[in-house]
Amino acid sequence: MAQTGQKKRPDGVTARVRFVMIGLVLAMSVLVVRLWDLQVVHWFDYAQMAEYNRLRPERLKAPRGTIYGPDESIVLADNRSACDLVIVPAECRPMEIDAVIEKLDELVGIDEAALRRKIEESKSRPYRQVVAKQDVSRNDLMRVEEFAYALPGVFPVARPQRRYVYGDTAGQILGYLGEVGEDELGKYKLGDLIGRSGLEQVYESAMRGTDGQLVVSVYRTDRRPQLRTDALGRAYVGVDSYGRQLEQEFRVDPEAGGSIFTTLDIGLQARCEEILEDARAIGAIAVLNADTGAVLTLASTPGYDPSVFVTHGRARDREEALVGKLKPMRSRAYQEAYPPASVFKVMLAVAALEEGVIDENTTHYCPGRFRLDGVNQVWRCWKSSGHGNISVVDALAFSCDVFFYNVGLALGVDRINEWAAKFGLGRPTGIDLPHEVSGLIPSRDWWDQVRRPQYPDEPWEWRWYPGKTVNLAIGQGEATTTPLQNAMMMAAVINGGRRPRPFVNMSLGPELSEDFIGDRTIDLVHRGMRKCVDKDRSPPTGTGKAAKIPGMIILGKTGTAQIVSRKQLIKYGKDENNIPYFLRDHAWFVAGVLDREPRIAVSVLVEHGLHGSSAAAPLAKLVIEYFYASRQPPAALQVAQEGGAR
Amino acid sequence: MMQTVKGYDLLDARISIFNIRNLRHIDWVLSVLVLLLAVVGVSVLYSASQSASSSVLYYQRQLIALLIGLGLALVIICIDSRVLVWLAPVMYVGMLILLVAVIKYGVEAKGGQRWLQVGPLRLQPSEQSKLVLVFSMTWYLTKIKDRIQKFPFLLIGLGIIGVPVVLILKQPSLGTALVLVPVGVVMIYVAGCKWWHLALLAAIAAVAAPLAYPHLKPHQKDRIDTWIHPEKASSDDAWQPLQSRITVGSGGLSGKGYRQGSQTMLNYLPEHHTDFIFSLLAEEQGFIGAVAVIALFAAFFLRGLSFAHDASDMQGTILAVGAVTILACHVFVNIAITVGLMPVTGIPLPFLSYGRNFCLTAMMCVGVMLHVPVRKQLFE
Repeated sequence: MAQTGQKKRPDGVTARVRFVMIGLVLAMSVLVVRLWDLQVVHWFDYAQMAEYNRLRPERLKAPRGTIYGPDESIVLADNRSACDLVIVPAECRPMEIDAVIEKLDELVGIDEAALRRKIEESKSRPYRQVVAKQDVSRNDLMRVEEFAYALPGVFPVARPQRRYVYGDTAGQILGYLGEVGEDELGKYKLGDLIGRSGLEQVYESAMRGTDGQLVVSVYRTDRRPQLRTDALGRAYVGVDSYGRQLEQEFRVDPEAGGSIFTTLDIGLQARCEEILEDARAIGAIAVLNADTGAVLTLASTPGYDPSVFVTHGRARDREEALVGKLKPMRSRAYQEAYPPASVFKVMLAVAALEEGVIDENTTHYCPGRFRLDGVNQVWRCWKSSGHGNISVVDALAFSCDVFFYNVGLALGVDRINEWAAKFGLGRPTGIDLPHEVSGLIPSRDWWDQVRRPQYPDEPWEWRWYPGKTVNLAIGQGEATTTPLQNAMMMAAVINGGRRPRPFVNMSLGPELSEDFIGDRTIDLVHRGMRKCVDKDRSPPTGTGKAAKIPGMIILGKTGTAQIVSRKQLIKYGKDENNIPYFLRDHAWFVAGVLDREPRIAVSVLVEHGLHGSSAAAPLAKLVIEYFYASRQPPAALQVAQEGGAR
Repeated sequence: MMQTVKGYDLLDARISIFNIRNLRHIDWVLSVLVLLLAVVGVSVLYSASQSASSSVLYYQRQLIALLIGLGLALVIICIDSRVLVWLAPVMYVGMLILLVAVIKYGVEAKGGQRWLQVGPLRLQPSEQSKLVLVFSMTWYLTKIKDRIQKFPFLLIGLGIIGVPVVLILKQPSLGTALVLVPVGVVMIYVAGCKWWHLALLAAIAAVAAPLAYPHLKPHQKDRIDTWIHPEKASSDDAWQPLQSRITVGSGGLSGKGYRQGSQTMLNYLPEHHTDFIFSLLAEEQGFIGAVAVIALFAAFFLRGLSFAHDASDMQGTILAVGAVTILACHVFVNIAITVGLMPVTGIPLPFLSYGRNFCLTAMMCVGVMLHVPVRKQLFE
């Protein structure tokens, strides 16, 4: 029976079936080998690709550190939560989008054309958030929420926005924020803000903070998860288009930037700016704590409000700040140098007394003019009738030029340079603010290295000659210093001979030089500068009498810096008011207060103010009055009003 | 004894057309293997049902299809296969009519495969044609016996497959067509054709394949291009094969765990409940699980081929080989696509992929396989 059954099959069938079996096993082996290759050999690569698919990191921006005054009760710059209305075009059906835009315009008022354009531009990436309106007010926000049903795809996104609490007060010191440039990417992402000047720039790394990260696991929907913010400003990722809650894989909360406590007296700062503005003066006032170098005020007019760089819709103000003719972003207190003029005499007096060139009793006769042997030039004293025989105390009090011509010649340019360096004139003060200018005290070296190449065909310009020393002696010629440097010099004179390094960040702390002025010298200079302010009756009167405050010991020194030679002004006649504004002399006044705590050094500069005694000294008086009087903030100090939901 | 030999005679009263007692002789080894594969299939589909894109509980539907398939398989076991083979020419003609009808009146489903709505039934003629072709080839090959060694008879055999394959290509369902050709070739081979005849045909096909390329549908061309030059492919074309490889590869040696696969759960791999179900398995269970399932399939096929090996007559051998080859081709092509060895064409994985029509086909193949040893028992 078996045989008969077998005969039904041709020979070799079983062999062929076995062959098929072998083929099948081989085929399956190919699959196993391939699986081994994918899953074991290249597992890591594919696992990474799978994670790359799944995980979507979202950056959580760190809030920037706060800038405080001396303590936490005074906030100069902080962050408020600004709310932007964004629209995700893909979350809104195409035929709805017009209605949504119109509704938005009706509710909060938007630039419809611009929004339509932006939506059109992002057509290829429909899940992008398109900003419909920046910085919406709380009322607008509530209205939008109320009509949320009619606004699919529209939601608010909160972001920290820099707020400069006092507006343009101290704007130049605080600095402003700007978007990073492409060359600065690396630690930054495009669109990040970075400190561009002032404290914002200097303490960028300290205040920046560390960005956090939110990693979510996303479904494959071709869309980015939408980062939203809850009522507390915490970021979260919502559901996706299918209504699926995206899973938060991990979250690193951003670390807020460090805060800075500053030495700034914001009340005084505001008052100083007000004083300058009231006097219609373009200029600067620097006030230092004379014993520490703490910067109490660095006022400069005109100023600007740093908010214009971070607040939406203030493009015109921004442009004005950037390209304004008067350079409102430049602090005249330390970013501009002027001839120190007679203010320089304070330094010269100290140098001469310390070097033993003169003493208390040394007198020089002032006929109102001065000549050098063999030089066909006359140097005048500001007082053409002359001061007669005059000693150092009176020379300071009445600002006798001739006395200091003699003293300067006796000292010589090298020693003047040496002492200017001790006072920190003509070199950066080391203040923790950017773009400080150094000013200049000309020296033989400078002449050789800078002037000589400038005038290759005029050999007479190569050599330092005594007439230059005469000019330098009264702070004219090539010499320039900044108001801050002069305040620093005053501080050294007030505190008895130790030059402080000015600082704004409290944590830097005072840093003073060795005492480089003898007590005897200090006493004489104090007497001269005090007389300058105090002698207000029976001529001759002190040049700084306008700064006198009864009951206070105030030191002062005026300065009147020529910018063009007297000859050039002759054609405008006797009346100073006929001189064109930009040719008028700068007015200086440096002052200090001895009998109050804290002792302060004040330096006032009024550009083209004509006379230190009339234009600058009265301002210094106002500053000192304000500082020691009630410490109530003046009316000018108002919290800046800004839009937005707070 | 002699009566048994006359077994081909349908009029033999002792062999009934339908005999429920056949069920007593079911091979339990194959049954257990099928059961295991079905369990794996349903559990994998359960995982797929939880994934993001699916609102349908695939595993429940699949379970029902499996049970219906089981019923069909049992019916096939009980029916004398000679009757089915005898009816094959009729079924073949009916199949051709349906294939033409579906081209004319069919409703297009994704992937090119079409179906006919007949009352409540959704007929996929290309699906049903698979088993019909096995019976038709068996009918032909047992009729011509060793004349298959002559080349013209071989060509006629290929023609029997060729006509429906061309119609199926018209649908266009490249995958099904690609599966049917090797099934026919293997059946002809086992029937005893000259091997160099096949080698000659293979050589001709290799030369002719590039000529066929321009006649493919654009999406089919894209898939082949993508497979040959993945770097040149547009991101959309390359997406699925790449994601499939990522899904499989990221499973690693031991897998991400049941229902823990991110690629499938988060829907990065489309069609992970149908043609790409093996990726889901490989992601969740890793190399070990994937190889275990392949081993299960291999054991299942080898057991089926052992029936062919031990069959009492040529008809049984060829039937078993045909049924096994259909499923084996599906398994190989499907997994090869999944792991990036072949261009993407819509081919389901037996017992695992969701698809009720194919589920029935697979279970009927199992029925045919199980019937072969039953026949032997009866003849003895």
